Amino acid sequence: MRLKRRHEQGSVIPTASMADIAFLLIVFFMVTITFEKDKTQVVLPRTELRFEIPKEVAYISVTSNGQIRVTDGDEMSAPVPNVDDVVTFAANLVAKYPDRAIVLKADADVPYRSVDKILDSLKQAKVELIYLLSEQRTADDEAGG
Amino acid sequence: MKLKQKKPDEEIPTSSMADIAFLLIVYFMVTTTFAATRGLDFALPKDDDTPPIVEKEDSVLIEILPDGTFMVDQKPKQLDEILDYLKPKLEANAKKPVIIKPTPETPYRYMVEVFDVLRQGKDVLELKDEINISIPTQREIESFWF
Repeated sequence: MRLKRRHEQGSVIPTASMADIAFLLIVFFMVTITFEKDKTQVVLPRTELRFEIPKEVAYISVTSNGQIRVTDGDEMSAPVPNVDDVVTFAANLVAKYPDRAIVLKADADVPYRSVDKILDSLKQAKVELIYLLSEQRTADDEAGG
Repeated sequence: MKLKQKKPDEEIPTSSMADIAFLLIVYFMVTTTFAATRGLDFALPKDDDTPPIVEKEDSVLIEILPDGTFMVDQKPKQLDEILDYLKPKLEANAKKPVIIKPTPETPYRYMVEVFDVLRQGKDVLELKDEINISIPTQREIESFWF
């Protein structure tokens, strides 16, 4: 008697759940991402010491041509026309969130004059803690001076 | 003649779903710019009406010129010589203020460099306390020093 040959066993990798896995990954990344409140492109100064900055912070960014943008950490950063407006911004911030730190994101080539004015404004507004945003300094920097 | 009717496939084609999803993942991975989330912290002194008047002679003054040369107490010093210079002074008086005073034209990077070095001073020189770093603003210098 000739037996009917059994069906050949399928040699396909099951990919039906692949989409589920991929979407799970997408959702995970979407939930964990923290959006950058300030997207200003600056060349940061380099330091050896770097401390973690808390998540809820205000930003003040200064580009190499002296443009200043500020954000209290809730919205995207907006440009301020004048250095003197930083005082108003900082005073409002301190009134709204007394414990929020301010991150100073200034370009490495900014003349110190601008930074000095900002520090002065922050002192007047009684800001207590600021962070000077920096990149990691490496051995290459030391060699290059 | 009765033709056999072909039944249309009633399933939604999902085989390309994984490709689409992975494409999205790759797209987001490529476009995400990692935010720099580290830096040096700096506690601003309280802006009192009567700040403690620092005698210039009691402190160490680090001036930074626009070309990045450092004048420590009026003498030019390399960045890596500053801590050695400070060591005996800080051992005699741990609270001695070290004042960083860049000129208005000095690029910001040099101020951060010096600040970084001074912040490491406690560990490098094995001091008990952090170095008392002070970065007075132009307004403070004008109102309290002269």
